[in-house]
Amino acid sequence: MNVRVPVSRGVPRWGASARVLIRLAWVRTMSPLVLLGTTGLLLLPLLFAVLFAAQGSLSGDPVDFLVRRYDQLVGALATPVLALLLGTSAFSAEREDGTLVYLITTPTPRWWIVTVRLLWAGGLAGALSSLTVWGAGAIAAHGSNPEGVTSAYTVAVFFGGVAYAALFTVLGLRSRRPLVTGLLYVLFWEGALSGTFQALNFLSVRQWMLAVTLPLTTARAERLEGVPSAPFALVAAGVLLLAAIRLGARALDRLPAERSGS
Amino acid sequence: MTRSDASSPAPPLVFDQVSYWYGDLVAVNAISATVQPGITGLLGPNGAGKTTLLQLAAGLLAPASGTVAVYGEAPALNPAIYRHVALVPAREALPGALTPRQFVEARATLLGLADVRGATAAALALVNLEREASRPIEGFSKGMRQRTKLAAALVHAPTLLLLDEPFNGLDPRQRMQLLALLEARAADGTAVLLSSHILEEIEPVASTMLVMVAGRLAASGDYRTLRRLMTDRPHTLRIRSSDDRRLGARLLSEPDVVAVELTTEGMLVQTTDFTQLAHRLAPVAQASAVTVLAVQPTDESLEHVFAYLVGDEGRP
Repeated sequence: MNVRVPVSRGVPRWGASARVLIRLAWVRTMSPLVLLGTTGLLLLPLLFAVLFAAQGSLSGDPVDFLVRRYDQLVGALATPVLALLLGTSAFSAEREDGTLVYLITTPTPRWWIVTVRLLWAGGLAGALSSLTVWGAGAIAAHGSNPEGVTSAYTVAVFFGGVAYAALFTVLGLRSRRPLVTGLLYVLFWEGALSGTFQALNFLSVRQWMLAVTLPLTTARAERLEGVPSAPFALVAAGVLLLAAIRLGARALDRLPAERSGS
Repeated sequence: MTRSDASSPAPPLVFDQVSYWYGDLVAVNAISATVQPGITGLLGPNGAGKTTLLQLAAGLLAPASGTVAVYGEAPALNPAIYRHVALVPAREALPGALTPRQFVEARATLLGLADVRGATAAALALVNLEREASRPIEGFSKGMRQRTKLAAALVHAPTLLLLDEPFNGLDPRQRMQLLALLEARAADGTAVLLSSHILEEIEPVASTMLVMVAGRLAASGDYRTLRRLMTDRPHTLRIRSSDDRRLGARLLSEPDVVAVELTTEGMLVQTTDFTQLAHRLAPVAQASAVTVLAVQPTDESLEHVFAYLVGDEGRP
């Protein structure tokens, strides 16, 4: 009882605090649901690639196959859903059980807490998406990179993973039902609406992702007509990232108060 | 803006006409109080607004009206205060996959401490958790979780410590240890604001009490004054006997009995001196040849005690 606690107050330690925030996110996020969803989403494009490769020369053009699979299975499904699972999980467990209070009652700036968690979710979603793109390309094209399509989509889905995760991390902090809201966003905004109204392409992360592939591959460029330019996509994603950090930090400032107890 | 500073001449915590409400529900209503170094008890029944008041003090909520000042600064949207302030929330939840050492180290890192391991070891020693420090928290009892939370709060030696129902789940020995720990911190100059809904829990250590009822400050001051206010009020007992009418008539002649009311479930006896009536009941019943079947206080719940304090006599 007589042990004295050393009083040693330093300034925020950026690297060390980032490691702590990522470690806490990791132990709180990796639930069976997230692991199952992640594994399924990653394996699906690979399964298609295996089937394509198994049919040999009967399969057709690997570039055409890869572009369609990357667009439909990765860009439209795996990347946004992975980002949704990881982004909304970045704070959700701590928000639900109240342990978020142990993060925010510290001098660590709240924008830094949000930035680290957002980049963790985005980096993981992007890296896993890139991995599945690269794996599917390697299987379907027998290790080659025809017309640069695999490398272009590897870069694009990483970019898309980060942008989507930024959006969904903020959603996880500000919405009561982030998973449902995020799914509706992916299905209706990114799917139905931006596919119908070309003007919405400028506000669609999926279209930004496709835009990033433009300067990196010559494969089926006509498919990409109507999407924004790559510089626009990069600037728009940068604005989204900054806005997400700001809105997330504000959400941490105004968390719904705990009313249980007294 | 000046930096939060525990060495500042400003008091550790000042509430000035602070109110807060959730929608239409007023959780805290125009509370003014000052918390000085030492232990201050925050007493009140469940739903009185204690947690909200602590959250206002910790800067997690901003007052709807009035001001909160921690060492002279508004704590809301001011994370710098956490160099000197720690909150131990009432909720038990902790990251179960971590060990107490990992959890406290995480807090120490986020608090910007230079010697994370040293501070963690010292904090775990303070709460007697060294032996369990490497076990995952998920298998911990309530008491051990409470001690883990305390270690996480004490790791940076805060000078203002806010504790929300810290005795929940602790056995008597652990309570004694916690009280001793808090007394030691208070002796070192730490201001401790300690909430509870049980007077007896905090009475031994709290030199000052704030009593909240329905969001209002019902009473404040020295605990002896509050104790007297609580015991000097009229008490009502429900007594069942073999002949309520005869016993009631005899009891009415007792000097401290104010009123007797016969009901279908026994009689309600109101007295100004509960102890005296308890001593006199058996002889009176014996003299009346009546058998007492049951004696039950009807207004001993904390809510009744606090409700009494809201009356004019109890106001600070």
